[in-house]
Amino acid sequence: MYGWIGTILRVNLSEGTISKEPLDPKIARQYIGARGLGAKIMSDEVDPKIDPLSPDNKLIFAPGPFSGTFAPSAGRYDVITKGPLNDTLAGSNSGGMFGPQLKYAGYDMLIVEGRAEKPVYIWIDDEDVEIRDAGAVWGKDVHDTTDLLREATDEDASIACIGPAGEKQVLFACVMNEMHRAAGRTGVGAVMGSKNLKAIAVSGSGAVKVADPEGFKEAVLKARKKIQDHPVGGTGLRVYGTDVLVNILNQVGGLPTRNFRDGYFPTADKIGGESLTANNLVRPKGCFSCIISCGRVARVTDPRFAGFGEGPEYESAWSFGADCGVDNLDAITKANFICNEQGLDTITMGATIACAMDMFEDGILTLKDTDGIPLTFGNTEAMVEMVRKTAAMDGFGAKLAQGSYRLAESYGHPEYSMTCKKQEMPAYDPRAIQGIGLNYATNNRGGCHVRGYTIAVEVLGNPVKVEQHATEGKAQWVTTFQNLTAALDSSGACLFSTFGIGADELAEMLSALTGVQYATEDFMQAGERIWNLERLWNLKAGLTAADDSLPARLLNDPIPSGASKGEVSHLDEMLPEYYELRGWDANGVPTGEKLKALSLS
Amino acid sequence: MKILFFATLREITHEKEIRWTVPTATVGQLLHALCDRYGPEFRKWALDGDDLSDIIIVLVNGRDVRHAGGMDMPLLPDDKVAIFPMVAGG
Amino acid sequence: MAKILMIHPDKCTGCHNCELACSFAHEGLFRPGDSRIHVYTWEREGFSVPMMCQQCDDAPCLSVCPTGALHRNPETNVVEWDADKCIRCRMCVQVCPFGNVAYDAVSGNILKCDHCGGDPECVKFCPSKALEYVDDTLATRSRKKAFAAKFKKAFQEVE
Repeated sequence: MYGWIGTILRVNLSEGTISKEPLDPKIARQYIGARGLGAKIMSDEVDPKIDPLSPDNKLIFAPGPFSGTFAPSAGRYDVITKGPLNDTLAGSNSGGMFGPQLKYAGYDMLIVEGRAEKPVYIWIDDEDVEIRDAGAVWGKDVHDTTDLLREATDEDASIACIGPAGEKQVLFACVMNEMHRAAGRTGVGAVMGSKNLKAIAVSGSGAVKVADPEGFKEAVLKARKKIQDHPVGGTGLRVYGTDVLVNILNQVGGLPTRNFRDGYFPTADKIGGESLTANNLVRPKGCFSCIISCGRVARVTDPRFAGFGEGPEYESAWSFGADCGVDNLDAITKANFICNEQGLDTITMGATIACAMDMFEDGILTLKDTDGIPLTFGNTEAMVEMVRKTAAMDGFGAKLAQGSYRLAESYGHPEYSMTCKKQEMPAYDPRAIQGIGLNYATNNRGGCHVRGYTIAVEVLGNPVKVEQHATEGKAQWVTTFQNLTAALDSSGACLFSTFGIGADELAEMLSALTGVQYATEDFMQAGERIWNLERLWNLKAGLTAADDSLPARLLNDPIPSGASKGEVSHLDEMLPEYYELRGWDANGVPTGEKLKALSLS
Repeated sequence: MKILFFATLREITHEKEIRWTVPTATVGQLLHALCDRYGPEFRKWALDGDDLSDIIIVLVNGRDVRHAGGMDMPLLPDDKVAIFPMVAGG
Repeated sequence: MAKILMIHPDKCTGCHNCELACSFAHEGLFRPGDSRIHVYTWEREGFSVPMMCQQCDDAPCLSVCPTGALHRNPETNVVEWDADKCIRCRMCVQVCPFGNVAYDAVSGNILKCDHCGGDPECVKFCPSKALEYVDDTLATRSRKKAFAAKFKKAFQEVE
């Protein structure tokens, strides 16, 4: 096979068995790889009703066909599982080096099943695969674990691991690789912890082959040029990082502030990319095969928050910043470092603290609940302290570790939780930007921005500009972005390559690489197929159209200040059209006709 | 009028925020005047010939000018104009 | 005047595009073990360094090669490898003080950078200008000038 390797690795931790099986080329063609392939396995092998933290869940690590080649910014992989935060077919995408190493070691996918009796790690050294005792690293943070496991395996091995947060099964614990890259959302780290799996170390010396080397190189050079000529992929992200978004979202009045009480944060400039570059940036960093280099190697010298690591990204600067009413970038950066070291999703972490602050301000939480720490908006030290406490499941941290939905519900006020399908919405206010609200509400993994990033057209104007406050046409945009992203995620490409290229270029490169002819429509249809497969699984897990919703605050409470003052979300004007465009019935269920057209029946 | 510069435009203009007291009727006139003041580096971002470039984002009181007449959008003396080079993230 | 493949580690983002370009140029596929250039990243410090043969003037690999398989191209100053003359004794691998000569068992080749015959692929694929193919007299110009610019900025600020 070309692009793909042709082998799936399966490790059963309950039985201690390791097996390999061939990758079916027909499945590979239909689902591409990574996220799509993972969804297919979950669909075939995992009962949607299982408890995500039980041995019945499976944890899948899968790169795409591009991973390991020089397709630009295309070395990514997905972690796919049933997410414990929101009981959906969930997962997360990450960069770094892990995906390509798994390919070089000889695998398109690793499926982890069952649960080990005591802490273990998996060591993949080309065809030699072992389950090894992880007693020496259980309890250690992500950085120490990475160093120690490299010593025990290969000094250049790629290590994907959980930190103490994943071991303790914090519901939004993440998987980290190369110390600073995260498969962040939906609690994939908690699933790993529930299996007593501390890490996966991989070292590969094999190859990824190309069906049409000349054609592939030509397509790659064309795609590289488009990305490099685009101001975003070419320079913007390298100079300022994703955090550059803070100011523009704030100026259009869509920067969720203080747990979505507002959409405008007056001191936002202090936490934006311009400030990060001026005060904390050491140098840019890139993932495997990346030409964009949006990663931030950063340092904080203020002794209260001193540290060195990577980040923060826009979402993280928002969640610990504007969402908590905090405008100290050093503190925000420190919170980000702690999350990376402990293995926590920064979006859910910050948003959960913000939810707690909101409840504290309204007297629902008291000092007794919060271990004597006044959780008021803008209390910088409290924000950082809560991150530490959550990772350690210490005191109130154990409540925060449930995520904002269960936290708010436990105090009788679920309406304070700014979530969709129990996962916290990221840094774009649906009242100011209508389409992203529809994406949040209908997203298969809950409050998620990346898997349907309509901000590109609603705020930025890439590739075209549509009016952020309009509802017209948004259902189509959301559908298109969701389908494209599903295919793109499955190929191993990074979302940011779409500042420059689109489905045409991705399909062209994929065809030359694999030897399988993907027209643009085939690529998009694969994405639609994957989206529908995820949806079907979620429906079987018990989700209904009622879960395609937004918190009441966003439907009813107008934004009080800033450029989008007075706006609310008009989800009801967009949702019916979305179901129709998707070929689903009024209950959001894919029709038999649609499933047949996608070869899903 | 208040004019705010962001990202790369701060490096080019050496400003974050300026007070603009010259009477200026439209967005187009303002951009031309800013190009005159800040030179070819600024012009590269702001204009494509005499048209609004497609790598600039101009907001007047938070409203994207592309939906309000573009270069012809009228300006009032107490407007807040925010100018960004095309940015992104996620 | 000879060209130098100049390394600027302070600009390296650790993306490995150079390795991929090298492997692809030489073998038409992507295999890290085939690359003549390798990037090492220290994650804690956030620092990456690309490493490849420096075409030493007084090259230990040249003096140790018994067959002349390793030989200098007088025009380009590059130390080239002749596969037919090579007996795979691997003394060159033993002697390079930088580890920049390798033996690849898969292909049976001695791997050392050959500047791709004068148009290095790694330089073309590097997105960060961490690799520069430059006349030897100008090799450090970009770095010297970049630092000199800090003086310019400092003085301008007080003018």
